[in-house]
Parts: sequence; structure tokens; C-alpha cells
Amino acid sequence: MLVAQKAKLREILNALSEEYQVAVPVQREGTSAFELYRDGIEVMFNGNTSISPKGMFFPQTEKMYGFKTVKNTTEFVSLPVEQGKRLLFGVRSCDMKSLDCLDQVFLTKGYIDEFYKQKRERTVIVALGCNEPGETCFCASLGLDPQKAAGADVHAYDLGEVIGFEAVTEAGQKVLDLLKNHLREQQFALPPVGEFYLKPEVAGVPEKLKGMFESPLWEEIARKCLNCGACTYVCPTCHCFDISQDVRGEKGIKYRCWDSCMFGEYTQMAGGHNPRPTKKERVRNRFMHKLNYFPERYNMLLCTGCGRCLDVCPVKMDITSIIQQIKEAK
Amino acid sequence: MSVNEVTWQPKILVFACNWCTYAGADLTGLSRLQYPATVRILRVPCSGRINPQFVLKAFQKGVDAVLVAGCHPGDCHYTTGNYFTRRRFLIMRRLMEYVGLEPERLQARWISAAEAPKFQQVITEISEQIRALGPNRKLRDEEWKI
Amino acid sequence: MEDLTLVLRRTAKEILEKGEAQMVIGWEKGAFWYSSTSAFISKPEDTERLIWDEYCVNNLAKYLLDYRHKEGKVAVFVKGCDSRALNVLLQDKQLKREKILIIGLACPGMKDEVEARKLGRGSSIPLYKKCRECRYPNALNYDFFIGEDKVIKEIPAQDDFSEVQALESLSPDEKYNKFVANYERCLRCYACRNICPACNCRECIFDRTASGWSSKANNVSENMFFALTRALHVAGRCVGCGECERACPVNIPIMLLNKKIIQDINALFGEYEAGTDVTAKLPLGGFEFTDPEEFM
Repeated sequence: MLVAQKAKLREILNALSEEYQVAVPVQREGTSAFELYRDGIEVMFNGNTSISPKGMFFPQTEKMYGFKTVKNTTEFVSLPVEQGKRLLFGVRSCDMKSLDCLDQVFLTKGYIDEFYKQKRERTVIVALGCNEPGETCFCASLGLDPQKAAGADVHAYDLGEVIGFEAVTEAGQKVLDLLKNHLREQQFALPPVGEFYLKPEVAGVPEKLKGMFESPLWEEIARKCLNCGACTYVCPTCHCFDISQDVRGEKGIKYRCWDSCMFGEYTQMAGGHNPRPTKKERVRNRFMHKLNYFPERYNMLLCTGCGRCLDVCPVKMDITSIIQQIKEAK
Repeated sequence: MSVNEVTWQPKILVFACNWCTYAGADLTGLSRLQYPATVRILRVPCSGRINPQFVLKAFQKGVDAVLVAGCHPGDCHYTTGNYFTRRRFLIMRRLMEYVGLEPERLQARWISAAEAPKFQQVITEISEQIRALGPNRKLRDEEWKI
Repeated sequence: MEDLTLVLRRTAKEILEKGEAQMVIGWEKGAFWYSSTSAFISKPEDTERLIWDEYCVNNLAKYLLDYRHKEGKVAVFVKGCDSRALNVLLQDKQLKREKILIIGLACPGMKDEVEARKLGRGSSIPLYKKCRECRYPNALNYDFFIGEDKVIKEIPAQDDFSEVQALESLSPDEKYNKFVANYERCLRCYACRNICPACNCRECIFDRTASGWSSKANNVSENMFFALTRALHVAGRCVGCGECERACPVNIPIMLLNKKIIQDINALFGEYEAGTDVTAKLPLGGFEFTDPEEFM
């Protein structure tokens, strides 16, 4: 395994910055997120970021195109698109899995989302293994390996004083080649992964949910929900968006932005009818989508066990206990 | 929506009560009292109609200052509308100052239908203050230019 | 508090058995030792789930809105802040008093979950800041009270506005930069609004983006428009329960705005403590001829 002293991380990231636009997990004002790397910025190692890296590929607000009226017609104006190679350092297993989910949505079944694709293709990902799961984590129960993130270009391991690196893909190998002068070969065994506190048993849940659309369980589960969008916005897999525009005089910009199935407006129709009028229907949709609709369509859960929703929910809606309740429901 | 420093002129939005300030502005013109062309007057049925959101939206869309103007206390066409305005904007002005807006940029005045000279004077005064302060960039929504 | 849990369960059970209410809203244990969450009990045998511990921070008053058009009565447990919130809902005529059964509690102050997770079980966990500053720990308005009606928490002599005043003393640009730093990370998830008992509009302007007043786009300008609109909208009705701040997933000090308004209302229109008196007139729902005059 190629290793480097953790204290040398700054040099490594500086070296990478010459080739890539680098983003790293950073703690700030009681919250944490991926930020563009600047020399001297302190990289967060303890636990995962409170805001997932999905915004790096699918920003909360993204301009799509401009338009303007010229005489009697409308002309499209293409907007500048950011180019250049990017590197994400420190993505955890759960968030790597979420990119797999987003890839399914934005890149498969004949639907290609150019905005997503462009960002995805120019990004190299250095994943960072987790040794000690957070209290709200449950990725292992969903079949993920917290130390080796599937789909990453490079695996990085937190080995205490040192960081280990292993290239997985060709793009990853290029990254490590860049760092030749900073890395040395040394044998290291991966530390054992700590015990998970939450262990939901998800087997059979997607199939069981098929017949549970009308279950009285949803009303019970939904009672405490406030219908805010905190869970959906911190979720690394939630990918609903709305398209809107800002028009100023004869010019305007079409943009898309995150939307949340928790909001009443989400399913509001032009005539005023709302097929999901109360929180029961909205909560049901959220969990059905995660645990049944998505698995049916893409053969994987739309949950990666990152535990962020448990962490931020002001009223402690808990997907692991909901999975349990679904299992126990008659 | 961006600001051109060279050609910039203050842009002041006046919310004027239909029954007093609006008529007062009219009288200012009739009386040939000149005031700077920096104001845009928006007529409202009563100063009590002015929702704080109107003011916030104006700043978002790029005005440099807002003047809320209505009838003198006791003179409201609807008896008490302006008393509500008074409480509301005593609070709002302080809040806006608290989040960093210069106090000159949000003002309120009572200007009656007869007070043409006062209207002239207030507008001139605010115009000069804003000219000295320069363009407002706070709260402004500049995301959407192409 | 463990003894009170038993009293609480017994009370809830009696209420449901006697049919005095169709549902009891209280707290139950969440996934972790430091998390307690709202519980909705409608069967007497389920009252065993109820608890009363130092983590029952969740303000339950807002949930009553979900049942306001339902038949029958709902019973709810209230601490001091919940009680003030409930009073505001009554003042706003959102609830009918006769449709709710209020069971008051004396609150010792709730412990900070975030600190609890950080420090671990067994260590001494500090109270939430809002609880340390709380001046009304005991329920104010109730049908009956559980536990001894006595002060079990140290009560500060007056509200603490020192953070507000520290901000006030900065220059306009410094203030603005601080404000931007706080709100550029706002996700606009509306957790603050949805948990706030003063935010009780049937339809919120931020759920009506088609109206053009607000946009779903997330940028500093829109986020501040939301923050300031909400602060002004709850002006005079914010009970200072601090639930907005607790609910915020990105840790925005939302109470800095609300406290500023509370401070100004006190200074301009006389001392007013929202939710402490159901019969009181709302400061921004009325006026005095003698109000300060600055607009001459």
C-alpha cells in the first residue's frame, strides 16, 4: 500500500490542486460540507459531512439556459459551462453508493442528463474508508463496505498517523502517479471496523411494501413528521428537482433546483388539485420511493445508510425504525 | 441588474398612500417644485397596505432606497391604518439596520396632501444621502444576468 | 423525572380510558439515549411508551394544528415553552380551547442533544442555551398540572440580549457580512418554519412560488428574503422557544433575528412576553396613539 504521513496531506492536496480543482470535507460553523480546497484549509477526518457531496454533481440551484426575445421570436442563450478536471477527496462509502443511485437516475434507461454527466465525467473521486461508524450510520446493514467504497477511483484509508492509498481505476492511478514523490510503499493492515449501533434488517422490505400502499401504518408514521425538507435536502440520494425561470424584462434564465416530496407544493397541480394533500401521502411517498419504487426500477435501495436524515430530523423520524415497523406490520 | 458605477443614479422607490403623499407628490408637480428624478412612486391605498415583503422585494430587485410615506397620525383615511404602519416600520427599520442595511436606505415619513414643499424636501434629502452612500448591493439578487 | 414518567403514563391512560380525549400527545424514546421524540397515543395500552426525561425538548404545541378540524379532543403535555406556544396559537385563534386538554409540567431545562452525542453517556451534559436562559420553565395555562408546582430550575432575572447588542455595535458592512455568512448556508428546507408555533398560516407564501414572491432558487438574496420575512411575520408572536434553531440542519443562529425584534418591541412598545397571557393584545396587531414618533 502506498502511504503518506497525515501531516503531509497539505502538500499532497497542494500538488493535486495543480492538476485538479480539488474539493475536501470541511467543518464550518457547526456544520460540515465539501468545499473547494484552498491552501491551509483543514480537512475533516472525524465522521462524514453533514451536507452530502451530491451538490457537487447536482447543485441545489443550477442554471440550464438563458433566453431572450428578439423581435417576434425567442432566442436561446447558452450559458458558460465550467470545465476542467475535478477531484473529490474524502468521499465515504455511503456517498459513493449514492452516486451509483444518481448515476442510475441521470445516466441510464435512455435518459441522459447532460448537466449531471458533464460534472460526473470530469471528476475523479478519492474515497476515504470509515473505521469507526457514526452513531447514526447503518451502511453495513445495507450491504456496503464502510472501508472500501465501490465505484471510487482511489481508496484512501485513515491509518492513524498515516493515510494509505490504493488506485482502483486508471484515472485513480493517474492521481497516484502525480503523487509519486509524496508516497512510499509500506505494508499496512486495515484496522477493524467498529461496531454499528443501528442495524436495520432490510431484507424483504421492498417486496413487502408492494402490498402496503393502503396500510394504516403510514398515518401512524407520518404523525410526527413536520413536512419540512431537511431529510430530503441532506439525503445523498434524493434527486427530485423543479424547473423554474427568472425573467427580467425581455431576458430570462431557466434553472432547476432541488425540490422535496415533503412539500405541499411538490404535487400541486395547475388546477389546484393535490394528489398528496396531507403528510400521510407525502411521508408514504418518501419511504415507498426509497424502499420500493426505486428498487423495483433500478434494483437497488435509494438509501445508503449514511444516517444524515436521522441526524437532522427535528422530530427524529428514523428510517431504521420505520423499516422495522414495516417488517412488523401485518 | 448589475450596477454600472459610471452611469449610476440613485433609484428610490416611494410607497405613497393614495390619500396623502400621492396627492402631495401631485401638488409638488403642480406647484412647479422641482425634485430629483431619482424616485419611482408606487401608489398604495394606505401606508398600512405596505407589507415588509414589498420593501424586501424592492431591495432584491435593485432599488437603492425605499421611502414609506403616508398620512400624519390622526389623519388616516381609514382612521388608524398609519398607526399600524408606524409600529411595523419602527420594527422593520431597526431589523434592516441590524442585518447591515444603512439606515438611510429605508425611511418612513408622514407627508400630507398639502405638504408639497415637504415632499420636495424629503425626496431631495434622501436622494443626496443615497448619492453619497452609492449603489446598494445588499440583499440584491444579482444571480440572473445573462 | 422517572417517577413523573409513571404519573404521566397513568394520567394519559386515565384520559384515554375515560374518553376525555381521543389522543394524547407526549414524548417517547427515540433511537438513542439522548433522543426523545413526539408520541401520539390513542390506545390506553400504548401509554407505556410515554416518557418524561431531560431530552423531551420537542415543542408539541404545533402538532395540535393537525387535529384542529378533527372530531373530539386532543390531550397534550406542555412544558413552559410549549405552554407559551399553545397560548400564541390560542391568541391567533388557530385552536379552540375546549378541544384541547392541557396537562402542564414543570420543566427542569432540557439537555443539549448535540453535546450529549459529543460527550457520551454518563458525562455531565449541559442544558440547551435556550433552556438556561428560559424564564418560564413551568406550564402557564393548563387543565391540570403534573408533579410539584415549584421552581426546579434557576430562573434568570431578565432576558439575555447580549448577543444581539454585540451585533448591533458593528458597522453596517460587518453586520451584513455576518448575516450573509449565516444565511448562505441555508438549505431552505423550512424546518424552522414548520416547527415554529408562530408560523401557523394555512398557506405560506414560500409554498406559493408560482405567485412570484419567492423563488425556489437557493441564493443569498432569496435566503435572506425568507429569513427576514419570517422574522417579521413572527414578530410579537415568537415565544423564544428556540425550536427553529434546534431544527436547523445547518446550525443558523435564527434566534438572533427573533431576539432583536423581541428586544425592540420591549423598548418601543413596552415589555411584552409573547404567550404568557392569552388575553394580551399582540404588539403588532394593534397600536397606541402614544407610540414613539420617528417619521415626522
